[in-house]
Amino acid sequence: MKRILPAWVRPRALIAVAVAAAILAVLPFIHGNRYWHNQLTETLLAIATALAWNWLGGYLGQVSFGHAAMFGVGGFVAARLQIAVGVPMIAAWIGAGVIAGLYALVWGHPTLRLRGPYFSIATIGVGEATRLICTYWVWLTGGSSGMSLPVQVQLKYQLYWYALALALIALAASYALRRSPLGLALLAIKSDVDAAGDVGVSSVRLQDLVLFLSGMTMGICGGFYASYYSFIEPGDMFGFARSISFVLMGVIGGIGTIAGPAIGAVIFVLLRNSLIATYPQLYLGLYGLLLIFVILFEPLGLTGLYMRVLRRARPDLGVTGIAAPESAAPAIGVTPPVEQREAK
Amino acid sequence: MTAVLRAEGLSKRFGGLKANDNVTLSLEKGQILGLIGPNGAGKSTCFAMLAGSIPPTSGRVFLGDQEITGKPAFRVARAGVVRTHQIVRPFANLTVMENCTVAAAECSGRDDAGSRELAREMLRFVGLEKRRNDYPAGLTLAHRKKLEMARALSCAPKALLLDEVIAGVNPVEAREMVALIRRIRDEKGISILMIEHVMAAVMSVCEHVVVLDAGKLIAAGAPKEVVQNAAVIEAYLGKKHA
Repeated sequence: MKRILPAWVRPRALIAVAVAAAILAVLPFIHGNRYWHNQLTETLLAIATALAWNWLGGYLGQVSFGHAAMFGVGGFVAARLQIAVGVPMIAAWIGAGVIAGLYALVWGHPTLRLRGPYFSIATIGVGEATRLICTYWVWLTGGSSGMSLPVQVQLKYQLYWYALALALIALAASYALRRSPLGLALLAIKSDVDAAGDVGVSSVRLQDLVLFLSGMTMGICGGFYASYYSFIEPGDMFGFARSISFVLMGVIGGIGTIAGPAIGAVIFVLLRNSLIATYPQLYLGLYGLLLIFVILFEPLGLTGLYMRVLRRARPDLGVTGIAAPESAAPAIGVTPPVEQREAK
Repeated sequence: MTAVLRAEGLSKRFGGLKANDNVTLSLEKGQILGLIGPNGAGKSTCFAMLAGSIPPTSGRVFLGDQEITGKPAFRVARAGVVRTHQIVRPFANLTVMENCTVAAAECSGRDDAGSRELAREMLRFVGLEKRRNDYPAGLTLAHRKKLEMARALSCAPKALLLDEVIAGVNPVEAREMVALIRRIRDEKGISILMIEHVMAAVMSVCEHVVVLDAGKLIAAGAPKEVVQNAAVIEAYLGKKHA
């Protein structure tokens, strides 16, 4: 009997995602509310970015504080391609994605070899340098005053379904990267890059591949953002706050888990849009507090919380402290509680 | 006899320190070769060069007829030279089974199902099959050392480099380890180069021994002869005992 799907795809997960996608696809016709329509579009875009960030930050454990660089490059390249060359929207997104992915490789190929926190520190520099260069690179970005795309009200409405497709593709890629045989190699690299090399894992190639995919997806999301808002400027696109938002979504939802960052993105957008109206100055501060609490009490975020509840409610499932092989979250961002009492 | 793994004039300098100085050794097919020497003699440096973890300053390494000098560790592992670590380094976020599966998938050239089959076979071989769904954090030191060996074996190596797999385990477990090392050679046909401090184990399991001191090869031969060699006794115990 020939299988249609690879053995590592669980039918239950596939059905759950298909049902959710179908509901989301018809939802706008049911609620008919423009505000919610926009909120959902933003949320779906945030989901795609959070998942793409998580491939590098979660699966490989290389936490990037500079992912806005690829988001911004994607946005401006896509906008410029559409305005100056007249490239169709989707083609411009993809072209911008490829350029953003290549840009990620330019700085990432050398810096991914750094160990520990040094990669993260380097990404802060990359993010800020990119922001400054693009602020002064007027013919690409329009400088501080930014650039505009023609406003198309109908298109903005339709972009909801494009965002849905983007989020679904990112989710499928998240699942494939983690569940396919490649996923084990990525976790091995995250755990011990030298030991991984000693058993034949080509860490340089895999790290570069994941970085490219992550940067490319970020670039496509940036292109989408440009089309959606019709106006972009470097201070917002490349801002440190944006880079931090990707980290926050991942951490809130569960860094390194398959779908956690997607849930984190939903919470993030909900909180942001309710807080920004009432406490416009405070909302980043509140995120900082949230970040501290998550890291202190539940390093795996909402996914960790869910697993803790599951352990209480269903002890028979044998969910372990680290991650159950069959749970939704086998990949983790924290060192397991090793009992360091080795025999002398 | 044909050499599986051969080092010719390997040297490694760390600044002014010569960690390895013109080391030449040859691991024959089906041999269990011991690499001994006092602490700081350069044994682990020699291993690291053979396995591609660090490039030699000068000298060459051959796997059969193929030169592997200076190749990165993952290529050396795929070619068939796999090492274990003195301080075990399991992938803490993978189960015991997954630890071996990833090695099999990268090195053995088998597909997904084949890799898992090989990994499970190797876990059975070292006696860890029952623990396959546990995480390494829950294993005893002896079991973690066995996991390290099973993971290396899952690469289907031609030459296996064992770095102190017996040191640190209790006497019963040590006897098991010695038996396991013999079985790897006898049943799997894999040639073994082992660093070991537990001399009783070296005497019983190694057919041939080479001795490093201060980066230089000072003796080679059958274990019984080597331990009576004046230079070796001097290296371990000092001049007045030689």
